[in-house]
Parts: sequence; structure tokens; C-alpha cells
Amino acid sequence: MAVAAVHAGGIADHIHPEPQGFVRKYLFSIDHKIIGIQYLITAGVFLVLGGLLAELIRVQLMNANGGFMTPDTYNEVYSVHGSTMVWLVIIPMLTGGFGNFVFPLQIGARDVAFPWLNMLSFWLFPPAGLMLYGSFLMGAPAAGWTEYPPMSLQGQAGTSMWCAAIFLVGVSSTLTGINFLVTLLKMRAPGMTYTRMPLFCWAQFVTAPLLMIATTALGAALAALFIERQFGVPFFDPTKGGSPLLWQHMFWFYSHPAVYIMILPVFGIVSEVFPTFARKPIFGYKMIAFSSCSIAILGFMVWAHHMFTSGMAPFLQLPFMVLTMLIAIPTGIKIFSWVATLWGGKIHFSTAMLFAIGFIATFTLGGITGVFLAAVPFDLHAHGTYFIVAHLHYVLVGGSLMGIFSGIYFWYPKMTGRLMSEKLGKWSFWLFFIGFNGTFLPMHNMGLLGMPRRVAEYDPQFQTLNRIASSFSFVMTIAILLTIINVLYSIKKGKRAGHNPWNARTLEWQIPSPPHYYNFKHIPSVFANPYDFNEPLPYRGLEEELTDSPAPMGAH
Amino acid sequence: MIAVLSVLSILYWWLMAPITSWLPEAVDKAQQIDSLSRFLLASGTALFIIVVGYLLYFSFAFRRRKTDAPDAIGVQIHDNHKLELWWTLIPTIFVVIMAVFSIKIWAGIQLGDNNGMVVEALGHQWFYSFRYPDVHGEITNEMHLPLGVPVTLHVSSYDVIHSFWVPDMRLKADMVPGIINTLRFTPTRPGRYQIICTEFCGTLHGEMNKQYVVIDTPQAYKKWYQGWQQKNAHASDAIPTQSSGAISLAGGDVNAGKMLFTQKCSACHAIAPFAHKVVGPGLKGVLNDPAHPNLVDGAAATPANVAKILQQGYKGDMGQMPNQTANGLTDKDIANLVAFLKSTK
Repeated sequence: MAVAAVHAGGIADHIHPEPQGFVRKYLFSIDHKIIGIQYLITAGVFLVLGGLLAELIRVQLMNANGGFMTPDTYNEVYSVHGSTMVWLVIIPMLTGGFGNFVFPLQIGARDVAFPWLNMLSFWLFPPAGLMLYGSFLMGAPAAGWTEYPPMSLQGQAGTSMWCAAIFLVGVSSTLTGINFLVTLLKMRAPGMTYTRMPLFCWAQFVTAPLLMIATTALGAALAALFIERQFGVPFFDPTKGGSPLLWQHMFWFYSHPAVYIMILPVFGIVSEVFPTFARKPIFGYKMIAFSSCSIAILGFMVWAHHMFTSGMAPFLQLPFMVLTMLIAIPTGIKIFSWVATLWGGKIHFSTAMLFAIGFIATFTLGGITGVFLAAVPFDLHAHGTYFIVAHLHYVLVGGSLMGIFSGIYFWYPKMTGRLMSEKLGKWSFWLFFIGFNGTFLPMHNMGLLGMPRRVAEYDPQFQTLNRIASSFSFVMTIAILLTIINVLYSIKKGKRAGHNPWNARTLEWQIPSPPHYYNFKHIPSVFANPYDFNEPLPYRGLEEELTDSPAPMGAH
Repeated sequence: MIAVLSVLSILYWWLMAPITSWLPEAVDKAQQIDSLSRFLLASGTALFIIVVGYLLYFSFAFRRRKTDAPDAIGVQIHDNHKLELWWTLIPTIFVVIMAVFSIKIWAGIQLGDNNGMVVEALGHQWFYSFRYPDVHGEITNEMHLPLGVPVTLHVSSYDVIHSFWVPDMRLKADMVPGIINTLRFTPTRPGRYQIICTEFCGTLHGEMNKQYVVIDTPQAYKKWYQGWQQKNAHASDAIPTQSSGAISLAGGDVNAGKMLFTQKCSACHAIAPFAHKVVGPGLKGVLNDPAHPNLVDGAAATPANVAKILQQGYKGDMGQMPNQTANGLTDKDIANLVAFLKSTK
């Protein structure tokens, strides 16, 4: 690639020229903004596929004796549903998608530290998705997204494909983690100290080491499972001297931090949306940043709370129980700080803000049931039931997915230069909120009264509750489709957004929408943190940024 | 008002919630666990009301009004150390209380001595079997326990990971092959309580909820126990998989077989042409189908061979079918089923 400085348009810094061909510009791009959008679109496609599988599950559970699918097909459907949502939707959207697009702009960088590595990270992701869905052709994985052996050793050929696919996503995550960490350490604009970084950057800063460290444990576990399935080396098969619990330890050593990989970036999104629409500084900036760090560290020390009934020395349960409960403290600090941010504000209820407020309500419920489950005696009853299903969906749908929607409505104007329809957005929010709670609230009761998870048929006493859940799940699906329609419609028909439609104060809103290829003509200097609405903007060097704005997407 | 609501919720959940009318407490440990659950539900509900109450109240009270200037801003405060100290300290104290309470209950459940009456429960795909001291072999229909006698229950598995959960006991232990997990409890309430598998264990995981723990009075238990002892007196210690020898098919009842089919077979087989696969193939006319003259094990489709598969089960490339024991079929049941299958054309 030609390494020529562009001097036209008063650009003094050393900048690579923008590639012109379609392939290098949009397909194999090394631009973090294009890669971010690629992640969001690809993960969006998988959201539709995973959502479709979820609806198949809910249709099957309309009747106590199932009957819509065979039990084997049902097992494949929910296993691929879970794997899709965790590895192909939530993690790629939050880190690869929003992380890539937003935080380099917020710290005043021209790109991430390793743009080529970034492109590789993205391009490991679609093949992994194709492999996971291709596994339906050879018998998809059927032992749930956790794939506990020895069950997964009995699984059909697609289970090996699942190992390979998730391994690829894992490599992609690890590379992204390294890339983001280096970028945030080394490429902040002058004056962008750690206490002046927007909180979304803090969220990514804390998530990056989790991606880097935890995912490697998953990679090792997946490799072992693959080798055992294909070549018969007994890691997990107890009849040959392996240990089924080894898998559970390695899997949860990754998958518990992964819960924070899936929620910390959302904390970041909410911490940007709240001050912007309440027109107030975020309450307790330092405590929010600090609590993210402590959540990440504690998150590595609690994995075995997923295994209280699996079989471990009783005394080992104590530290895992107490450490898990401790996580409630930093999480509580965050939630109280967000609620306090609303106090005394001038709250503007945009769709992004509605999703963020809805997030607080549902995530709080999911967090509280999480503390219940940390208590070993309660977990002895609730483990492996629909109570767990309810809890995890409150955290990952009511939490992560609502945060993602908030982020989409918030940053879409920056990505495309156009506003999404607020009217359609508000319909989408209310239908989603009602549909979500109607679907998952009854599952708490089902679980406590005796309905186990991962069953293709169930005791008839739960049929009414299940029909309520299934009916509301269709409402939720309509809500998600409305947002997708909104995204597609607004690319061409949305109102022009201008560079800063929300009057936000972080750096990405001070440059054109969509931003130039090189982000900033001059790297700005930063003088304070961005949340003081009564002060002038704390940046210098942005005077020329808005002199020639690119056309919004879909312009003729 | 938010405070009043949260106090009311505490009072309701802690003191008045009718948990036992939803789900009886069958053993002593269930009462201990419920006391913790009440505390958790009470404090969790109160916390939820406080957070969401203030969230809604602030959202309403500090909304942007039409009279506000478009660029109006809120009160510019960054933090309040006193407030932050309080909302760090109070949850910390609360977590400590919760941890202490949980550890106290935990110790009562997990740290008992091991001198109860020992019973073993073993998981199979897809049923449970039980072993008792001084009874040969394994029992596969129900598990009986005497009222008021401490029990040490060891659980493990023959194949994949299962779980032993009795909701009315509030206790659960995974059945992991190669590992023995232990539950200790004393039955306190006579009755018949469902055992449910909560760890995914294959195709018919959802069907693994058809066996029961029966808590008897000591007299009834003794009678049941001696009955088993005598019945199994000559059995070997091997798992009793099926009756031995060929099954007499004379006098099979078509209607009884039809009813059995809907109860025991229809989860996997439809009365429909061969190609209508549910888990296994459709079985309509299985004994009269010239296109498929052989059964899954390669033997000719005759009544005796069908009875053999029902008796011994099948495991091979084409999948697997539970045997007579797992399906809970008597020899007479098999004769009825074969008669019914013969009648479908």
C-alpha cells in the first residue's frame, strides 16, 4: 500500500490515503469504523437467525408434550441458539462492533493500534458462524451451549465443528482484546488522561484483558474436546480415566468472565447515554470506572459458582459463594450512580434513553436473582431449572441486548449521518420491554416449582405459564424486527443528522457524521473530562473538522 | 412511599409468603433452605422496589418539560462522597449479613455427619435405579424412605451426567460418572415426590421425571423393604436389565397395547408410515410392511423379534431404544404392545 502523506485540505499530519476500490474500502477494510459496522451487520444477521431458533423453541414449548419438533431436533435448536447469541451476537456486537467504531474516535485516535490484525479478527468471525450453522448438515451440537462431556462426546459430527467454530471466534476475541488494550494504552490524544476518558472507553479498557486472558482458557478446553472427539485422547471420558469436571472448570473459567465481557461494554454505553440525555455529568465518574475494574478482577475468582451441584469439596463452595456475593457491591454502586445521574436532570426520552432506562430496571432484577443463586442453599434448589433460564435472559437480553439497542439508536447517526425514526424506535422499545418481561418473568415461577431446563417436553402443570411466555415472545420478536426495519429504512430515508444530533460532548460527536477516513484532520488536545454541560467543550484543535463533511449514507 | 412499599414487601416475603403451599417441605433441609429463600426474596424485592421506584420517580420528576429551553441543562453535580459512602457501606453490610446467613444454612446442609441410613441412586439414560443395603440388585420403580430416619444418599451415574432433584426436598446433586456426590437429610412429611433430572442427558432428558421418592411411615417402609429383599433374594448384584427367556405372546390385548403405546412409545414413535420419523421410525404396519422386512437389528420383522427388541432394547448405529426395565414394561405389557402393533396396517 502506498505510504504517502496527504497534504490537501490543510491536513498536516501523516495520513494514509483512503482506499478507493469496493473490495479494499468495504470488504477487506482496515478502517476501524468500517470493521465495526461489518461486525454489527454480521452479528445482526446472526441475531435474526438466533432469534428464529428462539421462536422455534417457544413454539415447541407451547404444548406440554412438545410435538412441533423431535426431541433431538429441539436439542440441536436450543444448543445452536445459545451458542449463536453468546458468541456470534452479543460479544461481537459489543466489542468488535461498538468497541471498534466508537472508542478510537472517543480517545482521538486515527485507528486502532494494529489495523491489519483488526481486519483478521473480523474475518475469523463470519467463517465461524458459517461453520456453526453448517453443522446442521452433519448433526448439530445438541448438549446446550455449555456442551458438557460425556454428553458432548456422544454428540453427532457437528459437535466437532462447533468446537472449531467457537475456537475461531475465541482467537478473534483474543486478538481484538490485545488490539484494544494497546490502542487504549498508547494511542490516546494528548491530554486524554485516564480520568478524562469517556466511560465507554473505560468499559472497553477493562473488557480487553478479559477477552485476552479468559478466552485462551476456552480455546484450550475446546481443543481438548476436539482432540478427544476426533482422536480418542481421553481428557474428559471417565471410563478411560478422564474427568468430566475438568471441562466444567475450564469452560466456566472462561464463561464467567465472558458474562462480564457481555455486560461491561453495556455499562459503558449506558454511562454515555445517561449524561447525554439527562443533560448532566455522570454521577460518580471515578466510582463507575473503579467498580468496572473490581468487577473484572472478581469476575475471575467466581467461576465455580456454576458448579455448586456438580461435585466439589463442600469447603470450596464457601469462597466462591462469598466472592460472588461481593460482586453485588460494585454493581450496586454503578446502578445507584446511574439512578443518581437522573436526579436534577432535564431528561430527554429519546429511544436510546428509553432502552438505557429499561436496561437498569431489567438488569437490576437479573442482578438480584444472581445474588440469590450465589447462595449455595438456594442454588441447590434452583440450579439447572427455568429459574436459571430466567436469570440469564434477564442479564443477557434485558441487560446486554437492551444496551446494544440503546447503542444502536445512539450511534447510528454517527455511523451513517442519518437519524433513525424515533416513532418506530419508541414502538420498538415498548413492545420489546413488555414482550421481554412477559416472556421471562413467568420462567422464575416455572423453575422454582419444578421445571428443569433443556427439555423438549414438560409436566402439564406448567403449560399455562409456558403459553404466556411463548405468546409474549412473539411480541418481543416483532419489536426486534421493528428496530431492524428502522435501521434499514433510515439508511436512505432517515433525516440528516448533522454532526451532533444529541448535543453530546464526547470527541466522536465533534467531527462529521459519518467521520472522514482519517477521523481527525488534526489530533485534538483534551483538557477535562467530557461531562460538564455548563463548560465549553474541553478540546482544542478541532476548528477545521467540520469544514467539509462527507455526505450521509444513501445520498444521491 | 418507596420506603413504605419496600418495607411492606419485606414483611410479606419474610413473614407471610405461602411458599409451603406452593411446594411442600418434604425433608428437614427444605425448611432451612426456605428460611434463607424467604430472606433473599424479601431483601431482593425491597432492593428492586427502591431502585426501580427511584428510577421511575426521577424519570418523571426530572423530565424535560415543554416550557424548558431546548438547550436547558440539569444540575451540574459530579458526585457526593457522603452519599457514595453510604451506598457502598450499606450494601456491604447487607452482603455480609447475607453471607453469614447463607454460610449458617450451608453448614447445616453440607456439614452433617455421615451416619444416616445409606441409599444409592444411579442415573441411566433415561431413568434412575436405586440400591439399598442388604437388597440384591437394583430397584427401578420408586425409591422408598422411612419417615424421620436420617438418610445419606449417594448419587452417581452409569453413563453421562444426570442430576437428582426433588423440588419438594429443595435438594439437588449432579450424578457424575466416576464421582459420588452426597445428600443428607431426614424425611419429615409422608408423600410421593417427583424426581427430576436437571442436567441435560440426551434425547429423552425431558422424560426423565417419571420416578418418585416415596416417604412412608416406618411400618410401611419396613414392609416395602422386606418385600424387595425377598423378591430379589436370588438375584445377582448385576443390574436387572430384563426378564430372561422368550416372552409368551399369547393373549395379547390390542386395546391395552394401544393405551401403553401412547404412554410409553409415542414420545419416539408415531403410528404412521415408516418414513414418519419422530426419534425412531413410524411403526404403522411394522409387522406387515413389505418395503421394510427387517427390524433395526437386522432380524426379520416377526412378532417374536419385535418382542425381543422391546425386552432387550437396542443400541447401535441407528440410535438406541430403552429396554424393558427402563420403559417399565412387564412381559404381559410387551405381549399387549405386540398385539397392538400387529393390528396396525
